[in-house]
Amino acid sequence: MSNQGKVRLSRRDFLRTLGLGVSAAAVGIAAKPLGGDAALSTNPSFEARHFSDPAGRPNRPWWVKTVDEPTVEIDWAKMKRYNEAYIPHLEQGTVRGDGFKAYVGEEKDAELGKLNNELLQHGVEENIPGYTIKDQALNASQSPRVAISFLGPQKAKTPEEWGVPKWSGSPDEAARIVRAAFRHNGAATVGFFELDDNTRKLIYSIDPDGKELIFTDDLIASETETQRFIPNSCKYAIAYTVQMSEETLKRAPTVLGSQTTGLAYKRSYQIQSSMQEFFRGLGYQALGCSSTNALGIAPAFGVMAGLGELSRLNRLITPEFGPMVRVFVMLTDLPVALDKPIDAGIMKFCRACKKCAEACGGGALSFETDPTWEIRGPWNNPGHKAYYEDSVKCRTFQRTDTGTNCGICFAVCPFSKKDKAWIHEYVKAGASTAPFMDGFFRSMDDAFGYGAQKDCEEWWTLDLPEYGCDSGGML
Amino acid sequence: MNDKYVIEIKKRPWYEWLLWLGWLIVEVNVLQMAIASGPELEPRAQTLFWVTFFVLLIGGVIVWFMRRSK
Repeated sequence: MSNQGKVRLSRRDFLRTLGLGVSAAAVGIAAKPLGGDAALSTNPSFEARHFSDPAGRPNRPWWVKTVDEPTVEIDWAKMKRYNEAYIPHLEQGTVRGDGFKAYVGEEKDAELGKLNNELLQHGVEENIPGYTIKDQALNASQSPRVAISFLGPQKAKTPEEWGVPKWSGSPDEAARIVRAAFRHNGAATVGFFELDDNTRKLIYSIDPDGKELIFTDDLIASETETQRFIPNSCKYAIAYTVQMSEETLKRAPTVLGSQTTGLAYKRSYQIQSSMQEFFRGLGYQALGCSSTNALGIAPAFGVMAGLGELSRLNRLITPEFGPMVRVFVMLTDLPVALDKPIDAGIMKFCRACKKCAEACGGGALSFETDPTWEIRGPWNNPGHKAYYEDSVKCRTFQRTDTGTNCGICFAVCPFSKKDKAWIHEYVKAGASTAPFMDGFFRSMDDAFGYGAQKDCEEWWTLDLPEYGCDSGGML
Repeated sequence: MNDKYVIEIKKRPWYEWLLWLGWLIVEVNVLQMAIASGPELEPRAQTLFWVTFFVLLIGGVIVWFMRRSK
């Protein structure tokens, strides 16, 4: 028989060809982040497709497990509602606003304030990278914000005004449309949990402006000169995140680095007002923050709603974006499908890592290996086993050394990655499933140069996507 | 002339192919990490991944030629 016209392939040639084919395909996949839509997308893990979950929950990788109890231990009996305003007669409350002055004394506060201003002036005059006039100008651009309030703008036409019944649907459907609307308005992730006798303690007793937050049997939320009334029917708590620019915050602690925090807050103001109108348009109430960091303890909301875990930073770390988010809160009376806390190995990873505590110039973060019930000062809220921070040291350092919000703990965190390289996914999966490897992962994070402060002048040459958020998301 | 030549062909064992497949998977992964570290703007990680990739590549080529000539 003649073999003419037939192509004969030896086993060796076949395997070689197969190997080359696999390699070429792999290179093609690998090269994807270099160009095309992926490079422009804020987060390809949320590329347009239909929700696969009836409640619109995002697809999370296998190593993010939902759990009944959060990874931070909570003793609800010991927890009290927190004052997000400093209360002089109790000598207790937040370090924000007048709190810092009360904790360090008026004279020291004035001295630190002067030092802070001198630092910033020096930075502008000497053209110090990250503190130059253009960095200050960018920082100033984050100041104009839409007005926010507890009750919202209240301008949307209600179903009653349209002459139709208010929107109704299953809790899954409600959660899905609320998620869709939140994401459309700029939120990164959204989660829900129910306020019960315990979780009500996550609502502040006093808002930053000094107004008391009171639960009531009234059906409609209201506000007076001194009080805000939350109807018991508004028992559905919403936590949502707004991404920060990882590339920008990696320039912390500078004016340039810190202004990305201001940008996230500015965006949250718009999101909150928009969503309050959305809920009103459906025929429901949505109660929001009357100012920055109001209404409730945002990281705790994030934990209970399964957006992430509490960490050594004492802030939320999410599986998707690490700590590169700000967390915000709302309440509604629209029944939505609830979420559960998660365990992605993050809190366990913090035991071995301590990178943020080492980087903290003010020595404000805990070096303890295990979280503790012991608070470090009256600015902390007891009742959960955490890595409590010394907030006064944090704020003092910002005035004496950085002149601005710091954020270096966020910047150096091994979870702060763009997630374009597959290695980050492997490390996160490893941290979740093999905690004995956590120390090794931390060492490798250092060895590969992750978390090192980046050049502030280089930032002005980068072609970054919208809001500077270039997270690759998860595959 | 009655010279006889005996050519012995040794079949490569299955586990050798498995090892080469493992090598290929590692190479593909390291290559992806090297390329993706560019857009991540992580120069040190990028350098280390490229070095790892080429060391593994050259190592693989050397082993291939050594095994081939046996």
